[in-house]
Amino acid sequence: MINTGLTFAIVDSWRLPAWLAFTVWGMGSFLAILLVINRVPVMYNVLNMVVRWRNTLLSAMAFTMVIGLLTVMQAFVNGMYRLTETSGQPGNVLILAEGALDEAFSSLAMADSNDIANQPGILKDGEQPLVSCETYLLAAQSVPQPEGKTKRRFLQIRGLVDPVMAGRVHGMTLDSGEWFSEAGIRPDPDDVNAAPLVEVVMGAGMATEMGRDRGAIDGRSRKEFVVGDRFELNNRVWYVTGILKRTGSSFDSEIWSKQSVVGPMFGKERYTTMVARTADNASAQKLKEFFNTEYTKAQLSAEVESEYYKKLSQTNEQFLYAIIIVACIMAIGGSFGVMNTMYAAVSQRIKDIGVLQLMGFKRRHILVSFVLESLLLALFGGLLGCLIGLFADGWTANSVVSGSGGGGKSVVLELTVDGATLISGLMLAMVMGFIGGFLPAISALRLRALDALR
Amino acid sequence: MGLTLRLAWLVLDNTFRNPLRTLLTALGTVALVLVVTLVYTVLDNLDRITTEKSANLKLIATEKWQIPSQLPYRYVAGLAQGAAKSETDTRPTDYMSWAFFLGSLEADQSSRDFNSFIFAFVMEPEKVLTMMDELDELSPDSSDYKNLAAAVEKLKQNKQGIILGQSRMKKLNKKVGDRFKLYSRNYKDISLEFEIVGTFPQGRYDESTTFRRDYLNSALDQYQRDKGKAHPLADKSLNLVWLRVPTRDAFNEVANQIAEAPEFSAPAVKVETASSGIGNFLEGYRDLLWGARFLLAPACMATLALVIANSISISVRERQQEFAVMKVLGFQPYQILLLVLGEALFVGVVAGFFSATATYAFINFGLGGLPFKIGFLPTFDVPVSAILVGTFMGAGTALLGSLIPAWSACSVKVSEIFSRVT
Repeated sequence: MINTGLTFAIVDSWRLPAWLAFTVWGMGSFLAILLVINRVPVMYNVLNMVVRWRNTLLSAMAFTMVIGLLTVMQAFVNGMYRLTETSGQPGNVLILAEGALDEAFSSLAMADSNDIANQPGILKDGEQPLVSCETYLLAAQSVPQPEGKTKRRFLQIRGLVDPVMAGRVHGMTLDSGEWFSEAGIRPDPDDVNAAPLVEVVMGAGMATEMGRDRGAIDGRSRKEFVVGDRFELNNRVWYVTGILKRTGSSFDSEIWSKQSVVGPMFGKERYTTMVARTADNASAQKLKEFFNTEYTKAQLSAEVESEYYKKLSQTNEQFLYAIIIVACIMAIGGSFGVMNTMYAAVSQRIKDIGVLQLMGFKRRHILVSFVLESLLLALFGGLLGCLIGLFADGWTANSVVSGSGGGGKSVVLELTVDGATLISGLMLAMVMGFIGGFLPAISALRLRALDALR
Repeated sequence: MGLTLRLAWLVLDNTFRNPLRTLLTALGTVALVLVVTLVYTVLDNLDRITTEKSANLKLIATEKWQIPSQLPYRYVAGLAQGAAKSETDTRPTDYMSWAFFLGSLEADQSSRDFNSFIFAFVMEPEKVLTMMDELDELSPDSSDYKNLAAAVEKLKQNKQGIILGQSRMKKLNKKVGDRFKLYSRNYKDISLEFEIVGTFPQGRYDESTTFRRDYLNSALDQYQRDKGKAHPLADKSLNLVWLRVPTRDAFNEVANQIAEAPEFSAPAVKVETASSGIGNFLEGYRDLLWGARFLLAPACMATLALVIANSISISVRERQQEFAVMKVLGFQPYQILLLVLGEALFVGVVAGFFSATATYAFINFGLGGLPFKIGFLPTFDVPVSAILVGTFMGAGTALLGSLIPAWSACSVKVSEIFSRVT
């Protein structure tokens, strides 16, 4: 996860040299502090913080609020990046119709599918190529709300020819229940005259999301959908035969059903997508090139599946920039608060500074002493903020991921607080602490011993 | 009255007694009120566009069961009439059909980049002035309206005409009168020749373009003649139809008429108000907006309250002797309480007002609105009410943060304070 967090995204967006310079400067400052630390009255600073515990606590809480909030926000973006980066297998090739911007806009001729599936480079299980033929569509579902209102939710439905093959190709397995039947429908045992139930397998995220809405209507606790649950869509009743194991990918937010049932139901009788499994990423790249440049029987647009999902990160970047802006403004606001505390600390301890100078402490030691006090404050508040932010790890939230070429997917993502998130939170706290403590420390530095004691 | 003025003067005097501390507190307030103002701007604009109107409503007719909506073009005529069958049926007062056309000026796919792309609303040219959001509200006396009306007139006369957004035209490195060929990305094998006949006014449609519906229809017909078969999207080339109705009752009637019309059953059509449609679209961002409303904004306010509380409590501790002297001089505890609260309030109100006003001016006049690049949502102007909200935010958090320090100030015990004086 280290390369999915805000830290590395910042590296990408803010240019590496600037970031390296900042790191070198930070480490340099830290080393300088270490060099003189043996002459710095550290205990004096610590005791002062304890004695002025109210101010210490108030300042630290400002850090806690800022860092805690940013950790949660960053965890959300991490969740989005994780989702787009873990969706798709590096050895899979996603085949769409030429010019299709997204699965939802693609339309492949059924007659071409057999030839496409039998091209060299695609792995086989005996005689059967490891290819999943799919019809992806976005359905609009009316969801009853309290007080008789309704809202519309967009469901991502993937019509599959063979669910077992699709599970194998996409690396998805069942957590509970069973795959839908060959027919894709089953009679309604409660009403023999009713239209047959449409069988579906549901992603874990979608099961949570739909359970949440159901909870809002019938007042029961927000329990996720389980095997045997039903819902209504397109004037039909749909029946959950299985729940997919959570993988953190966008497939967690999908509903899988029989292609021959859902395709005609939504006027999409053709496949939108074919996903072919190759031996590895290098083979997938070759197959992609083959379909894009050499294959002539149909005009196709092929892409390595993991790369396709990575491109759906435009929304991630928008949120990331928004968080960077908010982080900067909040950090500036928080720094002013710390500066206030430290200026007050200096003005209240003018005599102490004089005494320290008379005891032989150099001005640079006093400078480091006040900066260190501010950094300690930041560390304490920052750690507390990270700890609070840590609680957000594992929360689920809905969002939309999309790419610059159009299209997008509604997803249920898991907030992820990783090491990079905590480190960047602490780094930000330290930067705030340094900025907040440096100017007051300079003002302490300028005091002369006798003037201070006078 | 005299005492009130005296207290007010004391508040002012004390505020500037330690200008550095006041400045730092004010700057902290400015920064955090800025974040709250931005959050308020987004939420207020979203609330506004998702609030149902009671009159002059715009409706959206789209495919009922799936997105992207792809309806046959033959639906336009009936939908424009609201599926009215008899004289007594309700009819919309105006309509506009939209098809989305994405294309590039580059024929070679490998050399296409964002700057060469065009996203166009394919529609009836005369509806640009009467049905498109914000353009339908332009004053006929404004230069924007006159320029756009002239462009629309040229578009009506020139089937190959196209109106471009100003930034899009700049990115394409073109000017009015230039001609270019557009290679479609979503309408496979369709390429269209265009002549730029004008531009949209600056603002919401900076990146948009529009051209004539009948031009696309002709291209689809030509495709069928050339290839001997219909274009794959020939029967899916209508993405949505906008309708205007005068009242909510008219909306209900038109929606019922369309829902019950057999000619709109395969594929089925749904009609909803524009605000409801946007609300449903925003459902995908529900948790994010919840976070902005109930986590980000309160956290900023809490941080701000802490910054102010810290500053005021330091100030109160430094001035304990002063408060004791004031008590000896006859000041009542409530007056001291008011004094401390007043100092915090003054800084909070001034900094909050300044921050919100500066944000208002910078975003509305400097940036031309807050960009909120989700779907078709426009840039958001900071509402005037944000200035009030920012000021109240500064005041409220100042009061909240200064309550405990002010209470401790008014509770100082004279004997205790003077016993410490040596």
